[in-house]
Amino acid sequence: MSPRVVVTGLGPVSSIGVGVSAFAEALRRGRSGVSRITSFDPTGFPYVNACEVKDFAPERVLRRLEVTRWGRSSQFAASAARLAVDDAGLADDAVPADRVAVVIGTTSGESQVVEALTAELVAGGYAGMSGRLWDQVPAGRLSEAASEELAAEGQSVTLTTACSASNYALGYAYDCLVDGEADVVVAGGADSVCRWAHAGFYRLGALTDELCRPFDAHRTGILTAEGGVALVLETLAHARARGARIYAEMLGYGMNCDAHHPVAPDEQSIAECMRLAHRNAGIKPEDVDYICAHGTGTPSNDLAEGLAVHEVFGDRPPPISSVKSMLGHAMGAASGFGAVASVLAIARGFLPPTVNWSTVDPQLPWLDPVPNVCRPHGVRIAQNNGYAFGGNNAITIFGRLP
Amino acid sequence: MSTLAVRGWGMVAPGGAGDVSGLYEDDLPAPTGHALVDFDIRARLGRKGTSALDRGTALALLAVGAAIDDGGLRLVDEDRRRIGVVLGTTVGSLRSTSDYSRETLVEDPPYLVNPVLFPNTVMNRAAGQSAIWYGLKGVNATLAGGPLALLHVLRFAGNTLRRGHADVVLAGAVEEFTPHAAWLAAHTNPGAPAGEGAFVAVLRRADDCAAPDAEILSVATGYAPGRPADEGAAALARCLSRALAQAGVMPADISLAVCGERADGVADQALDAALGSPGARRLHGPELFGECSAAGGALALAAVLREHRDDPRRDGQLAVLVARTRDGGVGAAVVRGWSRAGADRG
Repeated sequence: MSPRVVVTGLGPVSSIGVGVSAFAEALRRGRSGVSRITSFDPTGFPYVNACEVKDFAPERVLRRLEVTRWGRSSQFAASAARLAVDDAGLADDAVPADRVAVVIGTTSGESQVVEALTAELVAGGYAGMSGRLWDQVPAGRLSEAASEELAAEGQSVTLTTACSASNYALGYAYDCLVDGEADVVVAGGADSVCRWAHAGFYRLGALTDELCRPFDAHRTGILTAEGGVALVLETLAHARARGARIYAEMLGYGMNCDAHHPVAPDEQSIAECMRLAHRNAGIKPEDVDYICAHGTGTPSNDLAEGLAVHEVFGDRPPPISSVKSMLGHAMGAASGFGAVASVLAIARGFLPPTVNWSTVDPQLPWLDPVPNVCRPHGVRIAQNNGYAFGGNNAITIFGRLP
Repeated sequence: MSTLAVRGWGMVAPGGAGDVSGLYEDDLPAPTGHALVDFDIRARLGRKGTSALDRGTALALLAVGAAIDDGGLRLVDEDRRRIGVVLGTTVGSLRSTSDYSRETLVEDPPYLVNPVLFPNTVMNRAAGQSAIWYGLKGVNATLAGGPLALLHVLRFAGNTLRRGHADVVLAGAVEEFTPHAAWLAAHTNPGAPAGEGAFVAVLRRADDCAAPDAEILSVATGYAPGRPADEGAAALARCLSRALAQAGVMPADISLAVCGERADGVADQALDAALGSPGARRLHGPELFGECSAAGGALALAAVLREHRDDPRRDGQLAVLVARTRDGGVGAAVVRGWSRAGADRG
């Protein structure tokens, strides 16, 4: 029988809270992370809000990483990894260093670094671009920052599969553990708010101004967001042998590709991805007690996701909420935050709400978005959805350890 | 990991260094480079659906198509769901991202960027577009690791195949020659001309492939924390030794080593330590295909495959690929090559 994989540590660095206690409390209270953008000067943009991690102070969390050598997204990744490992009660020397792997997902990598380099290019041409910034451009540095922080010598992998990238990271981590390629895998994602992504989403018609309202009839789009998130995964045997606190079991995942359109979601393909995830996890649709939605808050995403849920689950699907209503769309970190929310739902028995919700979408009348208020609810199995540009769908499944 | 088989591959790469000064209006760090100077996206891929493609994505589409043809893949619907695409990169199309960013800085108002070009700023563009172009609905992934990306790609693809998430993975890497990429290359590896290219291999589980062009016997990757004084040479040597052990082969069995950096560098120190000196014949990527980061890692595998393709005398010989990042990533793979004609697999 395959080894079972469990989650023993959580490290969220988000606009609604840093660390598992603050993050869980924010989910329970339905906090909003939205504020006026300070990462760049939003003057001249019609919409000026995002969900930024205000007062992010990596030096308060990090122990090893030389902060000035790394870009903001790498700092997010490393900080999340450190928080998750601390939460798991894992000392850095508790596991042989070459048996600790790091897998980080991202959409835009060091987007603020590319932005700063471009500003230098505009100001002074190519020759005027600074070496310190060039050093920070490679996206693979996100996982390397986390490996550096943890002094981890196992594989250090950065997956750039856009907005489902954390679920890719979790899926890959799961297989690595099942195959015995590592004892501990720290998996998650990171991204930073930046000017060009804000502009791009605005021009796609996918951006909203102040309120992200997933599944509401009058939803108008996403709020761009940032942060880092990591989960500590290990085999059940490894966790038990060291007496670890276990939040939940990871049961499996599914991945597929729309092969249809660069940005538009595909309902049929999303439904197929759910079926793949269920099959891989060895569960049936009726086993799922809660769905943590991709739920971006754009009209097209939420409609496609809702219809896919209907196709797979029928007229009485489980409650499905979107934490993006609170913490915005953190891109490559998004499905990692969804995974943390799913794991907390299982471990602590509550459903995070979809805040800012007021009106039933007449096309999705059977959908229960857990409107506005956190709901006490026993969750045995949670499904965490992630979709992305490029049609990169990835869905993870978590369960309560019997 | 268990053995992976390559059956079919496609490559788009220049044959050597040449004059690149007429390629762009922007300043370039050097007048020569390993670039496809006459590359014309529309001439190669047609007019339909190509107007918004970045150069790297176009190269990837061509390499994927060539690999499909060379591997004799039948693209019927039932199979398409079981065929994945996994590509390596450094940072995607840096030019696309920087140009997009530039628009928001120099235009007034700042938000009038072209939405059609937005996907080019996202690093999974080449893999996602390859899926759309050829209708491939299986696992689709992109891994960033620069020179090491191909080895991450091989591990990810191996995982995908071994765990039954796909039956075939088109695996490779791509980089484009643009002013931005050339300046990044000049910063990364001063003195080496920048390059570009795409390489994609058709991968299957070894037990699902009768006559492979090559077998990937092992891939090992790791990280060397703490900025070691030897820049990771010892860690790279250990990683290579681990890959040899996983493959069950001895250092003396290796005929060829391909590394992603210039001669007499860290990679050569690692090869000296793990294989002995002089040991296996060595090829150095930047001298063959310029400094092209993720594509260089993939073209290293292509170099092995090309030597074997029409030369049965080399059948069964072993090669290693070694690569590292500037920040501590290390990796190695062991590859056994075969010719297409008359091979006796005994």
